[in-house]
Amino acid sequence: MIKAWQSGTSCSVIGAAHRRQGKPCQDASLSCQLGSGPQQLQLLAVSDGHGGSRYWLSDIGSNQACNAVRESVEAALQQTPLSDRDQWLRQLQLELPEAIQQRWLEAVQRDWQQRPESATTPFSSAVYGCTLGFVLLAPQWWGCSGIGDWDLVGISAAGEANLLSEETLQGSHGEATTSLCQADVMVAWRQRAQLQELRASDPLQALVLSTDGIRKSCATDGDFLQLCGQMIALESGDPLKQGLVEITAQGSGDDVSVAIVQRSGPRSTRLALGPAALAIAIVAAGAGGWWWWQQRRPTPSPIEREVVQLCAAPERIKASLSQRKQQFQQLLQQPKAAEALLKEPERDPLGALIASSAGGSATLQACPPLKAALDAQWRMARKTPEQKAPAQP
Amino acid sequence: MPFPNVRLSNRPLHFIYLCDCSGSMAAQGKMQALNQAIRQSLPGMAEVAEQNPEARVLVRAVRFADGAAWHLAEPTPVQELQWRDLEAGGITAMGEALSLVADALQSPPMEDRALPPVLVLISDGQPTDDFDAGLSRLMREPWAQKAVRLAIAMGHDADLEVLQQFIGPEPARGGKSPRRPLQASNATTLAQYIQWASTAVVGAASMPASRVAQSEESGSNIPLPDLPPTLLDPTDDVGPLVW
Repeated sequence: MIKAWQSGTSCSVIGAAHRRQGKPCQDASLSCQLGSGPQQLQLLAVSDGHGGSRYWLSDIGSNQACNAVRESVEAALQQTPLSDRDQWLRQLQLELPEAIQQRWLEAVQRDWQQRPESATTPFSSAVYGCTLGFVLLAPQWWGCSGIGDWDLVGISAAGEANLLSEETLQGSHGEATTSLCQADVMVAWRQRAQLQELRASDPLQALVLSTDGIRKSCATDGDFLQLCGQMIALESGDPLKQGLVEITAQGSGDDVSVAIVQRSGPRSTRLALGPAALAIAIVAAGAGGWWWWQQRRPTPSPIEREVVQLCAAPERIKASLSQRKQQFQQLLQQPKAAEALLKEPERDPLGALIASSAGGSATLQACPPLKAALDAQWRMARKTPEQKAPAQP
Repeated sequence: MPFPNVRLSNRPLHFIYLCDCSGSMAAQGKMQALNQAIRQSLPGMAEVAEQNPEARVLVRAVRFADGAAWHLAEPTPVQELQWRDLEAGGITAMGEALSLVADALQSPPMEDRALPPVLVLISDGQPTDDFDAGLSRLMREPWAQKAVRLAIAMGHDADLEVLQQFIGPEPARGGKSPRRPLQASNATTLAQYIQWASTAVVGAASMPASRVAQSEESGSNIPLPDLPPTLLDPTDDVGPLVW
């Protein structure tokens, strides 16, 4: 009997660098069930907006990419039986890419037409540029396709992780990648398309789909594969999100997204006995009470999470705060701006933290280096330009 | 819970100076000005590195005269860098210097996940060896193709044509562009160019941002920052013509 797919999970987290610069998260991700009965299919998707000034609406582009793939797969599902594997391979290679790109283009065009800039500037899909990787999970097979520098890793029941799909660009330049905003890139889509039949003895246990920020955060590809193995052991929701926050903070600083799915059946015994997992087991056994207590604590607020991250890497506190000098100034000049930041702290957790420290850090639950750095920035912001200027001899 | 329990790391950003140390650099205080400009730029570069903790800025330097050799062979974190003065004497083995850098840009030792390197070529004269062979050797390396390549011409005897070849195709639009050799004819301008390369360019190269492959957005692998306002036209120097 073929093991069934469990419900997948997905998560996107703003990169440490983007958070510091007050930029939006340009990644998006999706995990959903489509269709019903024998025509039930699961979809995982990740999309990475290119960022940079030329691609200034790529956060919208990546969200629209996830919408476009969901709508396109839904439409394909109504016309193509899941049992017709050849037809689904064709879908992954040709029909879905065309449909997704068309839907995405229409969506971003609609978005552009609602913008004031559209009155003076002609539409260009490049400003919405993003990558897209997606995986379809049927009872008897799985398949993937997409465009850009996303990665797909398969983890076997024995705990072995393998890279199943990656972008291989000939003569690539720097951070170059193929993109949804490019015309005539069907060859690039086809190169990433594959459909794999599942058998009863298939060792595949889990799939991890990720944007490039995860792989680029790892010291080596070996670390990346090991990380994917560890990620499938994380619970979805806060633990996964917190894990991604750590990855971007300690690694590339880029936005990061993953979509993960596992098959039912026993977990890897090798993974459970491997050195990393053994260490986890020892820590978990030793700190069982702590873990129990943690589980019962209320979910930390975005500000509390921000404090934890900064205090975990005190060497980054100064860099994070010094890039918000203007925000300190703005909060002094317009105290009402603090209300907006505190009302929706998840939109800009660092901004909300700064706003919450406007009256002094004494009441803030934070480590001393963070408190001292916040107070120092407020003192600096209150100085007049004359006081900031270096003393003349 | 110890997650992530793997080696995570910020991304290396290799910054390599290729410095002309030929005999002519001894004239009119050029060598001294170059040493001073690089030394003075280091605190600013370190500050930019501190503001971008996702990038690990590592500096190296090649000197070329009768031959080429590593002046600073070890990729050194900018915060730890103590600049040792270069000395002038000999001819201009620029081609050999490019070959030396080509070796360093092979993968390995270059890490796949590195940020595009920044190469800054500084010269006051014409190559005396096989420049074309050196350039061709360099440009065979994918990391050299991915690199941000800048060139500073010290004085008006510098061979702008070879410096342009090092940078890559000249931009179609005339005038103001860091995609042309930057002409420094005195110590002040030189210091400003070095400062710009080691701060604004390093800052831009530190930002993780993708770009569309084969797009026409620019000849560079990162969006190059504007030159400082006083240096907008690379052929217009600030201050007196000394070199």
